[in-house]
Amino acid sequence: MTDRLLLIMADETYRAGAFLAAAQELGISVTVGTSSPQVLSHANPDGFLALDFGDPAQSASTIEEFAQRTPLAAVLAAEDEGARLAAQAAEALGLRHHSAEGVRMALDKYETRQALTKAGFEQPWYRRLSLLEDPEGVAEGIKYPCVLKPINLAASRGVIRADDPAAFVAAFRRIHLMLRQSGEELASPWILVESYIPGDEIALEGLVSDGVLRQLAIFDKPDPLEGPFFEETIYVTPSRHPMELQHHLFETAARAAHALGLQDGPIHLEARVQDGNVWVLEVAPRSIGGLCGRSLRFSGGLSLEGLLIQHALGRAVEAIDREVRAAGVMMLPIPAAGVLRGVEGREAAERVPGIESLVISIPIGHPVVPLPEGNQYLGFLFARADIPSAVEAALRTAHSHLSFSIEAV
Amino acid sequence: MTLKATLARKNAVVEQWNGEGRMIEFDDAAREKISELLQSEDRRGKLLRIQILGRGPDDFRYSLRFIPPAERTADDLSIESGGFEVVVDPESAPNLKGARVEFVENAYQSGFHLENPNPMFQDPLEQSVHEVLKHKINPGVAAHGGFVTLLEVRDHVAYVELGGGCQGCGLADITLKQGIDVMIREAVPEIQQVVDTTDHASGSNPYYQPAKGAPAPGSSPLARN
Repeated sequence: MTDRLLLIMADETYRAGAFLAAAQELGISVTVGTSSPQVLSHANPDGFLALDFGDPAQSASTIEEFAQRTPLAAVLAAEDEGARLAAQAAEALGLRHHSAEGVRMALDKYETRQALTKAGFEQPWYRRLSLLEDPEGVAEGIKYPCVLKPINLAASRGVIRADDPAAFVAAFRRIHLMLRQSGEELASPWILVESYIPGDEIALEGLVSDGVLRQLAIFDKPDPLEGPFFEETIYVTPSRHPMELQHHLFETAARAAHALGLQDGPIHLEARVQDGNVWVLEVAPRSIGGLCGRSLRFSGGLSLEGLLIQHALGRAVEAIDREVRAAGVMMLPIPAAGVLRGVEGREAAERVPGIESLVISIPIGHPVVPLPEGNQYLGFLFARADIPSAVEAALRTAHSHLSFSIEAV
Repeated sequence: MTLKATLARKNAVVEQWNGEGRMIEFDDAAREKISELLQSEDRRGKLLRIQILGRGPDDFRYSLRFIPPAERTADDLSIESGGFEVVVDPESAPNLKGARVEFVENAYQSGFHLENPNPMFQDPLEQSVHEVLKHKINPGVAAHGGFVTLLEVRDHVAYVELGGGCQGCGLADITLKQGIDVMIREAVPEIQQVVDTTDHASGSNPYYQPAKGAPAPGSSPLARN
């Protein structure tokens, strides 16, 4: 009998294909846990499990019951949405995973700040505000420039910079409305406000095994992220920052993972670097989001998802290294709200030397919503080259060939 | 294809039809309706082209249209059908043998209908996969507004296309790997893998847009026949 993996995925997942392909390649059976009923589940009862992400305790019991008749060797969540549930289920089943408490803290930006403060990290000024607060009443007590962010959303959703009280009040109200409209208001009725930290943004992709962090990649983000919204665009690895700073980042990530209790699984750390100092923005208890994982390739052509599955199964992954070539991804920003009517220049973009693929992830005719409210990109460009600067140039050139027709509604 | 090869292929198809009865038949209502349509000024002297455009989830996709004689090509096959001429391209011809064109008109519908006794696929393996899709998979997928079409089987790999509500759906990969793939391989053990060729970002359903370096299946929807 082959090992079976429970893969918990959100309905809007980008990563089903990559995880399922990796599992198939490794000969692993998969049960997919989702929050909505799946087509054809009657034909493959062991292949599907309906879960309620809003009730992790009940769903963890559902998983335990399932595991009694269909043994599970690993539990993984593809995104933040299922991460808490995956951690609780893995803990109950005694499977390799970050602790449920660590995942809970890491998914809450305020709890993360508190844990890092307690561990002695230098922190920006920060304060958690209830959505019931009167923003005008607290605006004078805020340190400017500041950044407002929902406590529990990923991918820069709802993150807004404010340079003065008027901008703060507007941002607060905008986030409140966004949380109300997306149904997140009751689940997390808070906004975190913290001092804006100038400097370059950088990300570390890591894998923790028995409390020991292993660096998989450091990504530079060469586009300035200065607000008012913080739309991610280009990620390039390896980093071009000085090695000393990279070592500092790694040590910071290892300490942060330890402080949060993330001891067995992937982490994705976002930080700002300024004058040789590293300021942690967040430590997600999962791997890099969207389709960005495609930019990472490991020994023998193994994908990031393949590596994570092997790790979750308790297999040795220490000898698996990232390829030596430079690689990168560009998340294609949404320039305006509306309905996507067409994409021009795809062939020209794909012909740019170094470009490996272009994925348009929003179908023609579907609505598009830019940040801070939106939670999707138009698509992804992937590139590989001998050096990071060539990867970045390829991504920028390819993007310049693309034009998107968006009809305002 | 050279002229000689084209003629040889055409002759082979014609011989096969002549030896095994009429290629396409028309019921009286269809013949009358076509004759009536050909009386209009803009259609007078035109030919009726019947063509298979590709395969849908349940049946071939057909085209019936009037064309001026100048649009007839050298390798088209011609059938005199009692008052009008029908032309068929040689790729469509083998799959139209014995087909019957009917004209249906009642309170609920009006139009031409093509009753085709030919299997969707000549290859038994492809036909088996198609039967699984048609009878076991598509009824379930249809409940979610989608459908799955087999394009071809090559080297024990079934290439399918997802349409309707499946196209662009983030969960299509799950449906494919956990449902479609499992059901096809269980029913047709010769199949080792099922590959989704849908361009999920496109508003149309292109036959296949391979990723760089990926092999492409046959270039025509009917290439294997």
